[in-house]
Amino acid sequence: MRARDNPFAADRLERIRYRFAGTSLDELLTRLDDMNYRAAITGPEGSGKTTLLEDLRGALERKGLRTKLLFVNDASPLPEAECRRFLSELVPQELVLLDGADAIRRSSWFLFRRHTVKHAAGLIVTSHRGGLLPTLIECSTTPALLQEIVHDLTPQSPAISPTLLEDLHRHHHGNLRACLRDLYDVHTQSDCIQLRLQNTEVPPLPSVDP
Amino acid sequence: MGKLNIELNDAKNAFAPGEQVEGRIEWSLDANPNALTLSLLWYTSGKGTRDVGVLCTKRIDSPGALGSDRFSFTLPAGPYSFSGKLISLIWALELTCTPGSDTVREEIIVSPTGREILLTSVAGQSEGKNNQSGPFLKRILGVPYAGA
Repeated sequence: MRARDNPFAADRLERIRYRFAGTSLDELLTRLDDMNYRAAITGPEGSGKTTLLEDLRGALERKGLRTKLLFVNDASPLPEAECRRFLSELVPQELVLLDGADAIRRSSWFLFRRHTVKHAAGLIVTSHRGGLLPTLIECSTTPALLQEIVHDLTPQSPAISPTLLEDLHRHHHGNLRACLRDLYDVHTQSDCIQLRLQNTEVPPLPSVDP
Repeated sequence: MGKLNIELNDAKNAFAPGEQVEGRIEWSLDANPNALTLSLLWYTSGKGTRDVGVLCTKRIDSPGALGSDRFSFTLPAGPYSFSGKLISLIWALELTCTPGSDTVREEIIVSPTGREILLTSVAGQSEGKNNQSGPFLKRILGVPYAGA
């Protein structure tokens, strides 16, 4: 199977949007307004925080608000000099969206929070843990959510059973990103196995005289 | 919802590196856009992070709600269009409308043979490497995990 045909290819996964359970994007926008646009999206790795932040960004911009997004993680840290440069370029009408607030150094975080309170229209962050800002929403996943997403990506895949998805979800502690990455391999391998089976000569059934 | 269209001359969609890609774009939109942008780009599809390379763009400011225009881009020497199990590299022309999210994409092949290069796997080359799920996948698949 070509990588581009794999239903779990990265570009297809990027099209998956955040799925709400018990709330909606409109409700979140109302809550954000009530919170004066200072809030955190919390949850464990692979629970949809970044996806939700991207969806929120789109909704805020459609409302006419200006946003500025900063992505930080262990692989893309935020050195203090860069943090200061980012903050110095802020304008008061801008809402700052910080993805990975718990990945920046404590001193940078205090600087960030203090500066955005004074010089920006708001600060919305994602974080694995609570306590940085009031929590807007806590993201979590379920095996049923994984099943729903997988069904949308590949409605009929003989290699992917509900049991497998439950196992994967448990194995990765609910990290959907990791589950979907593994399913890429499962799909590739099952395709190879099917091809091998198709290419294996099946002996003809013995003829039975009527 | 408007309509955007990319049409390649003679419906040719496979090109040699360095060749000209020529054709016509058409648009019929509900409102007057600020701009239309046609890009010649490649992107990767597969496992892991996606890469994108934009080679050239043609921007039409204030194009009006309805119209058409011709385009001509020269392809670079590479990269070629290829596919393996882990990654595919796809060339495309992409027409986008600003503001809004209307986009249309026309895939092309860039290769000296006129066909996508298919990479064959090297058995066991990356088996289990950088993949903590290797043993887990082996158990659920019943075969060794070979992420070639």
